[in-house]
Amino acid sequence: MVRDAFREVVFPMRQPSVTARRVAAASVSLVLAAGATACGPEDNDAKAAGGDSTPHKGGTLTVLNANPQQDFDPARLYTSGGGNVPSLVFRTLTTRNREDGAAGAKVVPDLATDTGRPNKDATVWTYTLKKGLTYEDGTPITSADIKYGIERSFAPELSGGAPYLRDWLVGAADYQGPYKDKKGLDAIETPDERTIVFHLNKPEGEFPYLATQTQFTPVPKSKDTGTKYEEHPVSSGPYKVVRNDNDGERLVLERNPHWSAVTDAERKAYPDKIDVRSGLDSSVINQRLSASQGADAAAVTTDTNLGPAELAKVTGDKDLASRVGTGHFGYTNYIAFNPKTKPFDNPKVRQAISYAIDRSSVVNAAGGSALAEPATTFLPDQKSFGYTPYDHFPAGKAGDAAKAKELLKEAGYAKGLTVTLTHSNAKDFETSPEIATAIQDALKKAGITVKLQGLEENDYSDKIHDVKAEPGFFLAHWGADWPSGGPFLAPIFDGRQIVKDGANFNTGQLNDTSVNDEIDAINKLTDLDQAAERWGALDQKIGEKALTVPLFHPVYKRLVGKDIKNVVISDWTGVLDISQVAVK
Amino acid sequence: MTDPAVPAASGARQFWRRLRTQRAALAAAGVVALLVLVALAAPLLTAVEGQDPTTYHPSLVDSARGGVPVGPLGGASADHWFGVEPQTGRDLFARLVYGARVSLGVALAATVVQVAIGITLGVAAALGKRWVDQLLSRFTDVMVAMPLMIMALALLAIVPASFPRPVLVALVIGLIGWGNIARIVRAQTLTLKELDYVAAARLSGWGTWSIARRELLPGIAAPVITYAALLVPTNITVEAALSFLGVGVKPPTPSWGQMLTAADVWYQAAPQYLLLPAGALFVTVLALTVLGDGVRTALDPRAASRLRVGTGRRQESKAAGGGTA
Repeated sequence: MVRDAFREVVFPMRQPSVTARRVAAASVSLVLAAGATACGPEDNDAKAAGGDSTPHKGGTLTVLNANPQQDFDPARLYTSGGGNVPSLVFRTLTTRNREDGAAGAKVVPDLATDTGRPNKDATVWTYTLKKGLTYEDGTPITSADIKYGIERSFAPELSGGAPYLRDWLVGAADYQGPYKDKKGLDAIETPDERTIVFHLNKPEGEFPYLATQTQFTPVPKSKDTGTKYEEHPVSSGPYKVVRNDNDGERLVLERNPHWSAVTDAERKAYPDKIDVRSGLDSSVINQRLSASQGADAAAVTTDTNLGPAELAKVTGDKDLASRVGTGHFGYTNYIAFNPKTKPFDNPKVRQAISYAIDRSSVVNAAGGSALAEPATTFLPDQKSFGYTPYDHFPAGKAGDAAKAKELLKEAGYAKGLTVTLTHSNAKDFETSPEIATAIQDALKKAGITVKLQGLEENDYSDKIHDVKAEPGFFLAHWGADWPSGGPFLAPIFDGRQIVKDGANFNTGQLNDTSVNDEIDAINKLTDLDQAAERWGALDQKIGEKALTVPLFHPVYKRLVGKDIKNVVISDWTGVLDISQVAVK
Repeated sequence: MTDPAVPAASGARQFWRRLRTQRAALAAAGVVALLVLVALAAPLLTAVEGQDPTTYHPSLVDSARGGVPVGPLGGASADHWFGVEPQTGRDLFARLVYGARVSLGVALAATVVQVAIGITLGVAAALGKRWVDQLLSRFTDVMVAMPLMIMALALLAIVPASFPRPVLVALVIGLIGWGNIARIVRAQTLTLKELDYVAAARLSGWGTWSIARRELLPGIAAPVITYAALLVPTNITVEAALSFLGVGVKPPTPSWGQMLTAADVWYQAAPQYLLLPAGALFVTVLALTVLGDGVRTALDPRAASRLRVGTGRRQESKAAGGGTA
């Protein structure tokens, strides 16, 4: 993923404990890391880097990554939209639309004939499989295999996936997987070989998004080897695993002869072979891609972004600049307040800080305007999230210190105010000291003295997600599991998701009946465009409470080797889609 | 050359006379003095420049290019003598001179702590009872064997953030790195205490404390001063390394080590950002090392200079020869 962005980020809606969250977070980084890539020319619809731009089949694509493809088992992967490398091997009921930009944030059918048929209140979802689907050994894929694949993701030894299935499926809360409980899950029915029906315990209009995750991959029961399955998972996609060294450090994929483009409209699968090499330093990856020597000419990365210094160098070089792809992903970096602490219980203090923020210096600290866009909304600036522009406390480019001072005076702090800003010591340009010092400098102009409290990464993460230890004023970030307002707003602002003992993500500890009711109402909608609009309106309404100060949305810059063609970067992942890349 | 008729110069005068003959050591002393002066006068110097080390200047960096400074030579101008920092536009001259305060201050303070602990424990081991010596010597061995960086990392990670950071870093380095000085002091004290004048003092009924203070301390001064002079550059590099690893002084306080950390990725796009703290660190450590070696040679002319540069050994031996003729 992008510049470690996802490490902390793509948390599920709710988690039982800090430990569980950590496990999940760890897997997120690998899978997403595993899955994603981005590159391509500046304009997102450009197709190639010079010469004959038509993509051809053949050749070997090399993937240079920092994080290994650990636990390459569909039950254990935690992906957004099925991941990037995993999606080459694992097909799912639905998948993300493999198109550039905003169109790529749509969910489309994959193994199923459509994105799902809900009942009236979106609690029952029915899918029908396409005809003629087979595994890498030619045996047919059945709906029972998909049910089995989901069931085994409940086995404790195959943990790592998102918790949504356990939360949403009827009677699944305590299910321990098919190894212990042979009876299986009653919430999933397979009336015939091509039909599968899901029964949910509450309306979930966004179920089609969930069905993109690798847990919805068919697993043939006769080939299941439990924890060893990750060494050779049976492929339903265009490539099969022929080599997996050192738990995903080196992964070699070759064509699956039984895959057919007739049943798969999404994956292009141009290269004959894909060689994934991980464990590399990010600067080494970018250096090798820019040199493009030998096999590196046909190389991409799915988890490494260009840093500010590398960008400064690349933009001065025409050849290199033409090989940089730009990606957007739904993600927001923000300041969080804990309104249960003084002086942040006073909305005027929170508003004063909102006015005083200098977004241009924050953006520069995050890597400059090419790597970050100033944010005034909590939702990312993309249509699929329901982005509705608003700026309740306009700070302008450099902050409105006068307005901030005025508000502080009204709040009883005419002589100024001293506060502590908690941040992490991660070198991620997100919750790191660079961003904190930029804020410190801006608030100084408004008479607010900021003391910095830098915490070690795990300590930071534990503290900000613990209701009892939560600091009053800290840096935070959030990304969603799929490009919609639901997983973006609900975990942060739904009052019923405040977790007293365990990992809490509702850091503003907001419990407002009107907000909670609106979340429930939107979850019932199965028209995703209509839902997006309502999420946007809800975001605008919550924004008035000044519980957060949105700072910036990151932008991702990826370098590709000089022979890479057909660059497609969707707004779902923000990274180059390996299934579309050609090397000839 | 001294007049043979004049009685031999006292210890201190002899020392100065020997040190004066070493041009490299004198030059190094000049550089060190200048650096200390710059560190002390940091607020004055930045006031002359009209800048301070923490104010952001977003207009001086090219936001679209990752925040690289605008203009040649890293944005150097009449307002910003050494240019500005990438991404923030903070003044590099101001950060460099304020960084000198941290780097030199922490290193000197740590050296003082090391010397104090080293002398106390070294003398106590040499003069104490057998079991005291055993205990202290083994403890010293353990401290010498302990990897300084790892200990420092652990200690700095557990102390609450409210503790003033530069003081803490100096204390941590000082409390860990005193082992060698304690060993030297113990060995020297053991040699001295067998000498007749110490025995005479003891027979006159002097207490151990008085003997240590009046008879032994002057004798161990030479090796201690020498070793301390060489500890300062070591401590500077340790502080830089700790700041480099992110456990040293905290932002926005500048230190050379911290500047190096931030600058290491910019070596191609903004080379001066890396070269300034690296150069400052290099010059400081080199000057202190040459000075330390000069001090050593001046205190103990029998020992050859380890560095063998401009130590004036030839002149010194001539001077010594002249004196005895």
